[in-house]
Amino acid sequence: MNDAVFIGFVGLGLSVVLHVIFVSMTLGTGLLAAWYRWRAYRQNDPWAELFARKVFKVLIVSELFSGVWGTIITVFLAGFFTALLTLATNTLFIPIAIAIVAIMIRIPAIAISWYTWGKIHPRTHSLVMWIMALSGFGVPFGFRAIFAEINNPMAVGYYLQTGLNPGWMPYANPLFWTLYLHTVAAVISVGGFVAASLTALEKDVRGVKSGLTLGYVFLISQLAFGPLYWYSLDLYSPMLFNAVNTTYGPLFGIKLVAVAALLVLGYMALKSAKAGAIHPATKWLAPLALFTVVAGEVLNDGARYPNMVLAGDTGLPVALFANFYIEIPMPAVYVTLAFLILSLVVFTTAAFYALYRRFIAEVPETE
Amino acid sequence: MPDPNPLIPLSALGVYFHGVYVSLTFGLPVAIGVMLWKYWKTGDKDYYKAARLMTAVLAVNFALGAINGTLVEFGLVQVWPGVNLAIATFAFAPLALELIAFSNEIAFLILFIVTLGRVKPPVSLAILTVYAGFAYFSGVLITAVNSWMQAPWGVGPVAQVLYPFMPEYGPNAVDVQKLVALKLAAVATGQPISLIIERPGVAQEIGIVLKDPFVILYSPYALVSIFHNIIAATLIGLAITIAGWALRYFKTGDQKYLKIVKPLAGVFAVIFVIQAPIVAHFMGEMVVKYNPTKFALMEGAKETYYNPIKALVAYGDPNKPIVGFDQLREACLSHGNKTIGDLIKALDLPDTLTLQAAGLTVDSSGIASVKLADGHPDTLTLRGTGLTVDLSSIASVRLADLCLQDLQKAEAYMPLINTAYYTKVTFAIIGGLAAAVLFFYFYRAPGLSALATAIARFFGDERRRVFILALLLVLGTVIPAVMGWYVREAGRKPWTVYGLCYPSELVTPVPYSTDPGFLAFAYFVILAVNFGGFFALYIVATREYKFLELLKKGAGVR
Repeated sequence: MNDAVFIGFVGLGLSVVLHVIFVSMTLGTGLLAAWYRWRAYRQNDPWAELFARKVFKVLIVSELFSGVWGTIITVFLAGFFTALLTLATNTLFIPIAIAIVAIMIRIPAIAISWYTWGKIHPRTHSLVMWIMALSGFGVPFGFRAIFAEINNPMAVGYYLQTGLNPGWMPYANPLFWTLYLHTVAAVISVGGFVAASLTALEKDVRGVKSGLTLGYVFLISQLAFGPLYWYSLDLYSPMLFNAVNTTYGPLFGIKLVAVAALLVLGYMALKSAKAGAIHPATKWLAPLALFTVVAGEVLNDGARYPNMVLAGDTGLPVALFANFYIEIPMPAVYVTLAFLILSLVVFTTAAFYALYRRFIAEVPETE
Repeated sequence: MPDPNPLIPLSALGVYFHGVYVSLTFGLPVAIGVMLWKYWKTGDKDYYKAARLMTAVLAVNFALGAINGTLVEFGLVQVWPGVNLAIATFAFAPLALELIAFSNEIAFLILFIVTLGRVKPPVSLAILTVYAGFAYFSGVLITAVNSWMQAPWGVGPVAQVLYPFMPEYGPNAVDVQKLVALKLAAVATGQPISLIIERPGVAQEIGIVLKDPFVILYSPYALVSIFHNIIAATLIGLAITIAGWALRYFKTGDQKYLKIVKPLAGVFAVIFVIQAPIVAHFMGEMVVKYNPTKFALMEGAKETYYNPIKALVAYGDPNKPIVGFDQLREACLSHGNKTIGDLIKALDLPDTLTLQAAGLTVDSSGIASVKLADGHPDTLTLRGTGLTVDLSSIASVRLADLCLQDLQKAEAYMPLINTAYYTKVTFAIIGGLAAAVLFFYFYRAPGLSALATAIARFFGDERRRVFILALLLVLGTVIPAVMGWYVREAGRKPWTVYGLCYPSELVTPVPYSTDPGFLAFAYFVILAVNFGGFFALYIVATREYKFLELLKKGAGVR
């Protein structure tokens, strides 16, 4: 594998992981914020309104930056893996269209939710918040179909064999459903833990309890969805299954330990919160939950290396999908990667001031 | 294969909506910057409040711009997947650099929003400047890619080989044989290019098509377009902002709003002076030189004619003729009886193109063993990833006929392009006059201010004057931009990449992409999201906080 192809694979992997970190935080917190905003309106509960706004800050800070990494993924695919992207768009038209529609609703709904808060009637605002929260789950509903096809090219195989577009067939891929359920449970769980960790910094016991309850319930559900996905890999993507259990076994083991730690610490934190106290471990639950997400994504995508597509017992090497139409200008690629790191540093600074130093006020400046 | 025609307006709709938000993205930082500067220098809180409100509008606008950008991006790769070949070659460098621009643009915008009011005005100004710098850089790179579709810099004489009236587009940085072979394969099969490039291993077999990945960035057409487009977008954003504040002044009569309009109108006039007489002139020169059919369409030149004023503006020489389609047709006839077969021989191409991608390392047995859902065979056998194209079917086509056929298609756009172009020019003049009147109304200059005041009085009292003039600024920038963009995009038809590719070669092969149901759904989503977004922008910009009691109570704020 030449340098350009390798850097392309690594860059793509890095972009996917970063994108997944941000979306994991925002999908779950979005749901939590919408739920408490609605409760505030229905029950006239001032605390619920404030909590919803606090949690929502995570989205307002990170959603656009999360979207950047989605764009970066597309450009990496088009620039480095032209054949893969073209094959995906020609084959998986419907899943991609679903994801685009969801993105088109989700991102403006986030900005609109924040900047119209207090300017429109609470009932209308609650509705906008629900649209914001639920549309988010349409994005993985589209894109996870691509991931499922990469590991088990059922619709793509049909297309390559017959030349006919497979239409909705990607949703008949059993690997899609196990992956989607695993993903949805993960992001909601992470969102709950992120909300708990953030409100723990502010000593808001009720907020901690609310976040932990959501996070823990969906973590428990992962005890079913995780093994189900693992088992479906054995059935439908044996190469990935073998890689996860052998070459990537140590990382898989670490991930399982992290999940176990999350279960134990989450239980202790929830017990404390129910008793009206904040357990010292609470603030570490968000980083730990995010670590499990990163580990899971690396296992899911990185374990395919040196292949890009896995079809049964056969792997299609990365180079088969790579761009050989130009000699990739590596200096430009390195400069780009350096500036992407700069943007991460700037974003982290902004997020630190917004969330930790509380530069974004819960109550908008009216004067 | 799907007919690309229903998909073109859908893509155009996405591009136009994106253009609206991009304009505000370029114009608002200038307006916010002016307000912060005034706040820093005077300490007047009204300027800070104006900056804060415009920042909220910028944030919502940015989100809408980003999603429409996503729509356009996916529109390209999904609805026009043949473009992926351009992204992998000519557009690779600008799009790689665009990642720098886009990611840092957002990171610095978030930093600006988070820190506004928490740090000193010069610090906010510095962050805003860096953000705007990356935003403009993004505009530079995207415009460079779009300009390549207008004037495909780096293909040298390739387009001229088929269309003798076209110029050479820069140095020849391509492997002509491979590029022409790909084009002929698409013509011979009648299938989109994406059906070739999607095949695993094909890229490896074809190999290097473009020798200089940076060639697109050296294009003079791109250089002028960059200034022209970015300044135009900035002016639109500023005009909308000025009109927003002028509306508030008109409604309330509060002098604090007039105080905000004044410096913004000054900045607008200065930028307009750079755009209209200078940059727009160079843009016109580029069109004359590199888009002969577009220029003839703009000037309604079915036949060649003389017009000293137009010729002076276009060529700098009043005696030169405005070249019409008659001369372009004559150029086509210079091909004589040469055929595509002659071209194939001249380029030393075989009669049958064979891409044996499957012969590389593709092992399809894995896919072949994939089990399908009920109703399909249990196992599949790959039809093979190789491709054979027989070029003999098109070898007898005369090059002159091909050329004339395309000219005829282009000429059909003349009434629309000609009308759009002169509508653009008319409204640009209106915008320029309004900018001048507003500028000299606010800033005293002997003689000119008296004239401006006299003209402004026609519109009524001061509140009406300022508002109507601001409204004319909007009309004088938005309409020229809408019409100008139409001329730019539709004027290069029948090609998507001027002289090289037709829409039918780049369109998706997915059959239901042109299904009325899908199209209706796509239009509905785009219109609903964008009009909902416009309404939200209006609310953010105009409505006061009315429903904060519960939140204040929760936060313990009185």
